[in-house]
Amino acid sequence: MRVHIPSALRKWTAGREVIDIPMALDMRMSAGEAIETVAGEYPGIRDRVLDEQGELRRHVNIFIDGENARFIGCLAAQVKADSEMWIHPALSGGAN
Amino acid sequence: MNSAAKLSPRAGDVLVMVGTVKGAFLFLADRNRREFKMSGPHFLGQSVPSVAFVGGVAARILVGNKSEHWGAMVSWSDDFGANWNEPTEGNIKFPRGGGDALNSIWTLETETALGPDTVLAGVDPAALFRSDDRGETFRLNEPLFNHPDRPRWNPGFGGLCLHSIVVHPQNPKRMYIGISSAGLYRTDDGGETWTTCVNGLRVHPDVPGATLCPHKLRIDAENPSRMYLQSHPGTYRTDNEGRSWISIEGGLPSEFGFPMVAHPHRGGTIWTFPLTADAYRVPPNGQPKVWRSRDGGASWEALSRGLPERDGYFTVLREAFCADTLDPAGLYFGTRGGQVYASNDEGDSWRMLAEFLPPVLCVKTVAME
Repeated sequence: MRVHIPSALRKWTAGREVIDIPMALDMRMSAGEAIETVAGEYPGIRDRVLDEQGELRRHVNIFIDGENARFIGCLAAQVKADSEMWIHPALSGGAN
Repeated sequence: MNSAAKLSPRAGDVLVMVGTVKGAFLFLADRNRREFKMSGPHFLGQSVPSVAFVGGVAARILVGNKSEHWGAMVSWSDDFGANWNEPTEGNIKFPRGGGDALNSIWTLETETALGPDTVLAGVDPAALFRSDDRGETFRLNEPLFNHPDRPRWNPGFGGLCLHSIVVHPQNPKRMYIGISSAGLYRTDDGGETWTTCVNGLRVHPDVPGATLCPHKLRIDAENPSRMYLQSHPGTYRTDNEGRSWISIEGGLPSEFGFPMVAHPHRGGTIWTFPLTADAYRVPPNGQPKVWRSRDGGASWEALSRGLPERDGYFTVLREAFCADTLDPAGLYFGTRGGQVYASNDEGDSWRMLAEFLPPVLCVKTVAME
């Protein structure tokens, strides 16, 4: 599977825009496990995407194959070998 | 005002650090404090509710920066903002499994008596963290975090924030902290136990069961048993290390305000910035004035030379008013309207340092040694 890193976080992935996670064709993992896999190599990613309780930060979204993960199980949403996952800052704001 | 990408302070210069909702700005002047150079924005787009300066073997600026997307952390610069270090992993975190997650870092404090490498952080949700490596890593003060009063702490409009940290200058095991809307707590054993110290403070809005809401706590320069408090309802002084409080708001135009500032050297001299209570939170009659007392709050005088004479409806938040350590003391405050004002004569007159910054959250200063 492939994880797309937003530009704001690429300084924590040595500039890499995409990170491929090798998976067997019949393998599944959760979005949370995919983030942990990326963070295993690039630890600056974890605390910026997840809070210290392991929850997805409020203004960060994850899209899996075109679906917002919040509507398909959030961090428990399943990804497969040919999935593409985007980490994306939410288009929220307006207060300041 | 000159803008500068890089600041190079010399001994005797004054550095003013300003945190806003959209980044941090640094101002530098010589000891006359008339002409300032500005550097910034740093952390553009991020809010910076807290800043601090760590001296000792090398100068370090700390900021408690918060990205609405990626969270809050303490970052630092060892070259006056030319370069910044962000921790790879969050350096202020609550215990896993407890349910609490860091929202923002409200205050960063250093105190000579604690040693040159120690930094204390007050955060939302209310907790105290301590660093002994100049702000790079922090650990939670668990006795306060597990205090039996905690279930009754009630977040104010700004959140459940630990905003005030006062360390006894001769006995650093004695500390005081203030939490909105929860109260004041004191430790005499370096943070192993905490007891409430709110005797004499009235609650808001004088309803039994309502919680206390201190806004800013400061200690007297010459008498460490004496402290000053701007509370939500009322302005107070204690002469016995927080065992009891007396009202000192007589002579002020309002009992409400956010900041409180104590003179760095002269006991009994304090400044506050009253606002019309309760829902309005603007200067009375649209006339912003700093109020100064030279007798511990027994009497007050209004200081407004150089401030807007009318139509001034800005707010000064609790972290956004401070004094430097020179003689005469310089004063600095930032507004929610994005102005920064400075005085080099203890408040007798004021000049605008910056007019169009984002809303100001915090202001701190240091005189370079």
